[in-house]
Parts: sequence; C-alpha cells; structure tokens
Amino acid sequence: MAAAEPFRVLDRRGADFRLRFRRSRNAVAGAVLVTLVVLVAIFAHWLAPHDFERVNILQVWAVPSAAHPLGTDALGRDILSRIFVGAQVSLFVALAVLAITLTVGVTLGMVAAYFGGWADTLIMRTVDIIFAFPELILAILVAAMIGPGITTVIIALSLVWWPGIARLTRSLVLQLKNELFVSAAIACGSPPHKILRRHILPNIVAPLIVRASIGVGFIIMAEATLSFLGIGVQEPQPTWGGMIRDGLQALRTDPYLALYSSLALAITIVGFNLLGDGLRDILDPRIRDR
Amino acid sequence: MIRLSGWALGTLAALVLTTAAHAQTFRTNIVADPAMIDPITYSELVAGDVMSNIYEGFTGLNAAGEVVPALALRWEPHDDNLGFTFHLRPGVQFHSGREFTAEDVKYTLEELLKPGNKGGLNAPYLDNVVGAEAMKSGEADALEGVKVVDDQTVEIRFNQPEVLFPIYPIWFMDKGIVEELGPEWMLQASAGTGPFKFAEWNRGQDILLTAHENYWGEGPYVDEVRFLIVPSDDTGISMFEAGELDAIYINNTAEGRRILKDPQFEDELVKVPAAQIRYLGMNQNLYQPFKDIRVREAICTTIDRDGMVAGLFDGAAFPLYGQVTPGVAGYNPDLEPIAYDPERARGLLAEAGFEGGANMPPVKVTTTAPNKDEATYFAATLKQELGIPAEVEVVERATHIKAMNAGEVAFFPWGWSAGYPDALYFLSQVWYGPSVYNRARWQNDAFDALIEQAQQEPDNVKRYAIYNEAEQILLDDWGTCPLTVRMQVAAVKPNVEGVNLTPFRFLPFNTVKVN
Amino acid sequence: MLAYALRRVIGLVPVLLTAIVLCFIAIQLVPGDPIMVLLSDQSGNLELEARLRADYGLDRPILVQFFDYFSGIFVGDFGMSFRFANVPVTKIIGTSLAITPILALSALTLAVPLGIALGTFAALRRNRPADIITIFVVVAGISIPNFALSAFFVYLFAIKLDVVPVAGWGSIEQAVLPVLVLAIAPMGYITRLTRTYMLEVLQQDYIRTARAKGLRQRLVVYRHALRNTLVPLLTTIGIIFGGLLSGTFVVETIFNIPGLGRLAIEAIFARDYPVTMAIVMLFTVFYSLINLAVDLLYGLIDPRIRFGEEQG
Repeated sequence: MAAAEPFRVLDRRGADFRLRFRRSRNAVAGAVLVTLVVLVAIFAHWLAPHDFERVNILQVWAVPSAAHPLGTDALGRDILSRIFVGAQVSLFVALAVLAITLTVGVTLGMVAAYFGGWADTLIMRTVDIIFAFPELILAILVAAMIGPGITTVIIALSLVWWPGIARLTRSLVLQLKNELFVSAAIACGSPPHKILRRHILPNIVAPLIVRASIGVGFIIMAEATLSFLGIGVQEPQPTWGGMIRDGLQALRTDPYLALYSSLALAITIVGFNLLGDGLRDILDPRIRDR
Repeated sequence: MIRLSGWALGTLAALVLTTAAHAQTFRTNIVADPAMIDPITYSELVAGDVMSNIYEGFTGLNAAGEVVPALALRWEPHDDNLGFTFHLRPGVQFHSGREFTAEDVKYTLEELLKPGNKGGLNAPYLDNVVGAEAMKSGEADALEGVKVVDDQTVEIRFNQPEVLFPIYPIWFMDKGIVEELGPEWMLQASAGTGPFKFAEWNRGQDILLTAHENYWGEGPYVDEVRFLIVPSDDTGISMFEAGELDAIYINNTAEGRRILKDPQFEDELVKVPAAQIRYLGMNQNLYQPFKDIRVREAICTTIDRDGMVAGLFDGAAFPLYGQVTPGVAGYNPDLEPIAYDPERARGLLAEAGFEGGANMPPVKVTTTAPNKDEATYFAATLKQELGIPAEVEVVERATHIKAMNAGEVAFFPWGWSAGYPDALYFLSQVWYGPSVYNRARWQNDAFDALIEQAQQEPDNVKRYAIYNEAEQILLDDWGTCPLTVRMQVAAVKPNVEGVNLTPFRFLPFNTVKVN
Repeated sequence: MLAYALRRVIGLVPVLLTAIVLCFIAIQLVPGDPIMVLLSDQSGNLELEARLRADYGLDRPILVQFFDYFSGIFVGDFGMSFRFANVPVTKIIGTSLAITPILALSALTLAVPLGIALGTFAALRRNRPADIITIFVVVAGISIPNFALSAFFVYLFAIKLDVVPVAGWGSIEQAVLPVLVLAIAPMGYITRLTRTYMLEVLQQDYIRTARAKGLRQRLVVYRHALRNTLVPLLTTIGIIFGGLLSGTFVVETIFNIPGLGRLAIEAIFARDYPVTMAIVMLFTVFYSLINLAVDLLYGLIDPRIRFGEEQG
C-alpha cells in the first residue's frame, strides 16, 4: 500500500538523508521566493520602471505593452511599478502583525496553559471577550476609533489575531504538559521559563509556523478588506490588497490589475507556505533527533 | 456530518418563497434596505426610490423632467407674495380608499413638525410657514399658516416669500391611517395616493409594491413592482444579464462601469445627466495661495475635463462649465467652456509668484473613499503639471461633512444634488454667503444680493435671468472650479417599455409595461 | 461534565457584560454619529440636528444613555434602530438571525470532512506528486480572495452554464454558490493543518509501537493517528467557525443574502448603535457556545485533558 511509504523511509538512514534533502529543497524554493519578494520590496523604487504615483488619465486601463509591461490602472498608473511598491506595504503590515501576534499570543498562551489558575482565567477570558467580537467588526471599530492609516491596520489586525495564536498555543501546551519529558523536566526542578523555552516551545513551533505562514496571506487579505472599507492604507500608497480590490471592479472588462496583483499575492503566499513547511521539517526536534 | 448538511439544506428549503406566477411583475434594484417607508421620517435616497411610487406631492415630474401638477391642479400666489392658494385635484383616492382632501395636507404638514415625530428631510421645507416655530417647540397643536378653505382648497402663508413652495417634493399622507392601524402603520400598509401601494418587505431581500387600482393618473399597467435589494452593482449587472432584473439603476460608478463597456448591453443602456453639480472647493481662508485669482484660474484650467469624462467615467459624464446642471430649470446652455491649458496655467502661477509650485505650502485634497480616484487624479495632476505640493487625504464621511460645513476643509472635490428641479437649489445653498453649505466659504456681495432678489421673484423667466447673472459672477471670480456632471446609468430589458429616467432618478413606474 | 458545562455557561455572563461595556465605549469613540447620517443633505441644519438628537434620546448624558440601554436589555428591550425609523432592533435582527449560522454551518459541514480527508490523503503520500498537487490546489484556494472566487463562480455557473441563480436567498439553488465560496478557504486551511498534525502524530512513539505490533496501516491511521490529530484541529475548527460567522459579510453582499454580517457592517456605517450592539451580543453568545462545544469535545476525544483543569 502506498501509504506505508513514509514509515519505511523514516526507518532507513540513507533514505532519511534523501528525504531531508528533498525537504530542504522545498524550504530553499520557499526561501528563494520569499527573498525575491523581500528584495523587490526593498529595492522597489529602484526597480520600478515608472513613478508609481504618475497618473495619465488619457491612458487608463492600458493593456500590457513595452512601456507598461503589466498595463495601467484606473488612473493610468503603471501596474508593475505599483506592484513593486505595494510589496513594501503589504509585507511590512504582514510581518509587523505576525511579529506582534506571535510574541504576545505564544507568550500568553504558554503562560495560561502552563501555570493555569488565575493567570489562565484572566488570559483566556480576555481571549474570549476579543473572540466574542466578530473579528472584522472589531478591526473596523478599532480602525474607526484611531483613524485610517498603516498603524491602524497593524494595531487592528494584531488585536484580532493574537487570541487565535494564544488559544492554539494553549491547547498545544496543555497536550504536552502530560508528556513524559515535560514531567521529567519538572521533576528535575527546572524553572518554568526554562521548561517552557527548552522543552515546550520547540515542540509547538511546527504548528505555529504553519499557522504563521498561512497567516501572511490572511493578513494581507484582511488589510485589503480594511482598505476596501476605507479604513486601511491610504492613497496614493499602493497595497496589493487595495489593488486587488480596485482591480476586481474591472475584472470582466480589464482584468490585468486584478490578475497581476493577485498573482503577486499568490506568489508571496506560496513562498511563505513552502518556507513554513521546510522550516517545520528542519525545526521539528522529533525528526532532527532521530 | 452528512446528516447535519441535510438539516441545513432542509432549513433552507423551508425558507423557499413562492410567488404567484401569473401576476405581472416589474423587477428592479435598490442598493440597500430603505431606512423608512413613511413620508414623515423620510430622509434618504433609497427610501425615495421606493416611496416615489407610493406617495405624491402638489407637483411631480414628467418624462422630460419638467414640473407638472400632481395632487394640486393649480395654485395662485397671494398678492403680497407671502402665500399660495392650492386647488387640489378632485376624486383622488388614498390606498385605503379614503378620499384625498385639504385636511390631509394640513395633517401631513403638522405631523412633519411635531416634536418627537422624527420629522425628516421634508420638514425643513416648512421653516418659513407661519406658525412653524410654535409647532416645532410644542407650543402649538395646529399649524397657524395652513388654512383649509374647503375639501379641495388650502391656503399656505409664509413669513417671507417662498416662491418655489409648489415644487417642493413634500409627500402627503392619509390622515385616517393612524386611527385605522395605529402608530406602526407603516410596516403594514401605505398611506399615499401614488400608483403603487406597499405590500411586503423582506428585510435585506426585497420590497413588494402592488398596483393601486384606483390611481387617478396613467396606469399602473403592471400588477407588482418588486425592488430587489442588491448591495453590489456588479451582482446587479449579473442579475440583469441573467434576466433576474427587468431594469437596473447603477449606483456605484466604479462597479457599474462594466455595463458601459460590455457591448451586449449597448442597446439596453439609458443615460441621463444627474441633477448633481461637482466642483473643486478652494477655501481662501485656509490656504493662502487660493486668495490669488490667478492661482484659482491656474488650478481650474489644469484639470482636463474631457480627459476625466473619457478616463474616469468611461464617457458617462460630460464637462461642467457652470454650477447648474442640464435638466434643472435655470440652466444656462451658453456658458463658455473652460479651456484645458496647463501651459498657460503655469504662466499664471508664475505671475502669482509661485513658479513651478515654489513658495507654496503643502495642501491636501480631502475626500471620502468613494471619490478617491477623482481626488487622486487632482492631486497628482496639480503636482505633475504645476508643481503644487498636493496630497490626497481620505476621511470618514460624516466627519468630512461636518468639517466642510464648519468651513474647515481647504481643498476638496465635492458634489451637491438638487432636491427639486430649480437652479436656486444649487446657487443659494452652495455659493450664497450665509449658507452653511457654502463649504468653500466663497463670499461675494453682488452674488448674494442677486440670490436674495431671486428668492422673491415669482416670475420664472425673470428669475432664471437672475440665476444666470449670479452664476457668471461666481465663474468670473474663479470662486468655484466646476468639474463634471455624472450621467446616471440604467439599463432596461428590451421587453420592457415606459421606464423613464430623469435627472432625478427613475420616475414612478406607473407607465411601465412588461411584454 | 454537566457541572462543568453549567459553570462555563455561568462564566459567560461576565464575558457578555464586558463585551457590552467595551462595545458601548468603542462606539462612543468612533467618529461620526447616527444623526449626521440621518441628516444627509440637511447636514448643516443645526435646528433639525438638535431636534432629531432629542427625538432619538441622544442629547442625554452618556451614562444615562448607557444605563437606560443596559436596563432595557434585561427586560428584552434592545431599543429602536437609528437607521430604520420606528423599527425595534429585535425585529430587524430577527429576520437575519438564522441565516448567517446556517451559511457558516453549511460551509463547515462541507469543509471539515473534505479538509480532513484531503489532509490525511496528502500526509500519507508525503512529498509525492499527489501530496504536492493537493497542497498546491489547496494553497491556491486559500490565496484567492472570496470576492474573486464569487465573481468567477457567478460568471461560470449562473451566467454561462445557467444552472443556479446569480443571487438571492430563499431557495437551495440560491444557497449553492455562497456556501461553496465560503467552504473553500476553510477547507484549504483544515487540509493543511490536518496534514501537518498527521505527519507529526505519525512520527510519535505510540504510532510506531502500534505499527511495530503489526497493526494494519489503515487501522493505525484511523484509530490512533486521526484521533490525535483531531485535538489541535478542533481548536482551529472552532476558530474557523467563528471566522465564518463574521466573515460571511463579503459573500452576503455579493449574493444579496440578508445575513447578520452584512447587517452588522451596514449598521456600523450608518452608526446604528442599537443594532450594532445587539449583533455584537449575539455573536458573543455564538462564539462562547462554540468555545464551550469545542472544550467539551476535547474531553470526548482526548481523555488526557480533564475538565476543570484550568481551575486547578
């Protein structure tokens, strides 16, 4: 039966090597894509063939040509240049939100699960309350309170995202707490912060990375939704989400904007996913130690 | 899990609505649930789309968009110019079967003013009626300035001339309805005289109106009008394409552009200019360079109106050279076009001491989300062509309106839609000195004097001449920068006739036939 | 377990109260107000503004407004809508109440079994073409925004093939496209997570032991591996369900579905506070019930997690 394959492979050291190589190839592919996107973001203004703000009302929705390789948008602005510059904002928002939510969510989730008691009650009730608000509505309320802009988007999305991470972390830690190696560490008298960092964190990293890698795409889309509702990143600063939204209105007649900005988004998401998968394999101690 | 799915679908099936197949129905779209369907609290566009089929005022519009008598057959101004005597149309029946009389007119006007009634947008039309203040404060139970002479005659008196009172779109309602159905009557029935009566409202889905058999005017020919609530115009176009709508009105230009570009709709399109002026407001108190007329002229002549029509609106607009739109009484078709001449504009700017934008402080083109493309175009063009350091700023709507009313926004593209078909609505509200809606705070004594004169002039021809003179003063001073007039875009299936689009959206559907 | 459930339900009350208070405060901080929305073209008519403010009771001090609202809730009076003149909030919400949960549940019913099946399928064929293709398709599904997917589906199924209506609500045919659109992203999400968890579980000692004991592959996967995968997956499914409930907004708009998501967004934009508050409360209850269900299910699937442990 085909399904037996992974088990057999794991048991043979030579095959394990090959497998590791295949795995890292995945990671390399993801890393290459992500690096590419990051490089584009960093050197956007230098790479862009045109000024991304330059409007030309007589050349709106132009089809791709030598002058405009990906065509132009509703104001005759060069789509390629805007995709390059848009990478900056989209990536910055996604990475900032991920950094904040992972730090806050993982820390609080681990504390809640490990210590229990009032810390758990307090943290999980806060999580419940935030969860109780529909996330989009919460984000809109926050954004409406502090006015539109990139900071708003980051704060609003972070606020919405950390409870999910915290809850996932908590459930993963709860599961691990009963494992032998954790009990052993506790019995040895290791201090909690050491146990959490050395024994628990490495064991919950895999699902967290997968979640984070998927999260990048979700955050970029959520940013688009906020922009769609007029409380996201503002003109003339381009974001992929905003470009997809603008492009979709013209999808049936002038598909280039929607198509290429979605493609940019998709490439980035695939890149992060591959990287996440690769990292998961490399970081997973159960695979590494054997 | 499979069983769960069956349960969900079963519940769905239970929601299936069945309609009588033989009734002839006309289906069109509205963008949201109307906020209300009663003429007292009436305050918004969507409600107006539905209610114009249910309620009527003294006058209405014909297919050419001109004012014609409706519930009033004729009217005479009083000699002192401080009142009107209205002669009502005899034999008009409400949806309840009761007859429409002068008592209903008085009742409606009083209800609009009573404290606690949430009187909406039609209430301010009564501000000058004698006794309105006492009604609003609760001191009086009856409106002193309205006198019922007999069943078919009513006199209305004002504190100051209100020459346009007969064309104010105040909808009259059935005095007996509250007694018959209680204060929540509007969820069960309608109290109008219009061609259709309210039948059913499935919140979020549709509103059904049925024919008023005893309607005094033409039709109605169809048995039902169904307003489907379609928040997305793109969905609406697909529904029209699939035959789920008989007529569609495009509410969102960006989403609706597909209908303009797709050749399959070419023969079904209807385009009529909207009664909405658009202008670029320049507040001279807030941005020093605007004080120089050469700067204002330079800005206005750097905007490519023809380019905007083609590029931003796919041809569904045309350049506006004044501050009155075609189809509104008092429109001047002979205004000189505003030339697009960035070269000359650069010269003007240099003359004013701002060559290439030098010495100009940064300025924001402020707008709301739906207008961001237009505003981005202005900011980018002024920057590219003249070097003016302009940036776009998108803000929340209510906040923006409040700030504009307070005269706190320096530079903004904005519009103003006429509430009735007379140029006074534009000129006296948007550019008259004392008006709060003079959001650019442009001030000119000669202009203001002409507007005050027009407000007292009952003769239409003379009044229109005054409008034209005042408008020219505004334009000569570059006090405004007229932009474009949007075309209203609608599409009607070939088997449907009698759908009339005017500058004030669709006319009532009493003339519609579905073949 | 019953006592535990009861304790959790009682624990819901402070959460609900906090949500109400926070929501009320948040709403006060949002710029713009319902009266400005109502005024529309009369935005500068200060007299009308003052009168409407009084008519709607918005001229009273905030605390008075709050306690008035708060005391009303206990007798089932959620106030009158600001946006819909003279209509009680309960009446507005009543018509949308069941729609969003039905949509979310239908989408979940489609997404969960498919996602778990695909995830298991992919995990067992790790790094082989079947796995790579599955993951690619699934990632593509996640990467395509709801609205783009909807536009494509409408064009293909409603216009070109003409097998379902474009939009509307009330018949099964009308529900097909929105449910499909809603199910795709969660399905992708569940597939990926199942695959990850599955791979992890398959490397655990007890699975290896089970295999060493000679248990059949299929039995190992279904009885042991899948069961252990379900625990972390449950949390995620709970979150996805919550997300589906509030995430139906776009789909509800595109397909003209009068659900709670659309109602909530419209209420926020019209500054219709009473409706906004009521929907937030409703969602609070929904979410809390989902969480409770998830926690209870944990115990059924994984006896190692004991109820009430968090109190310990």
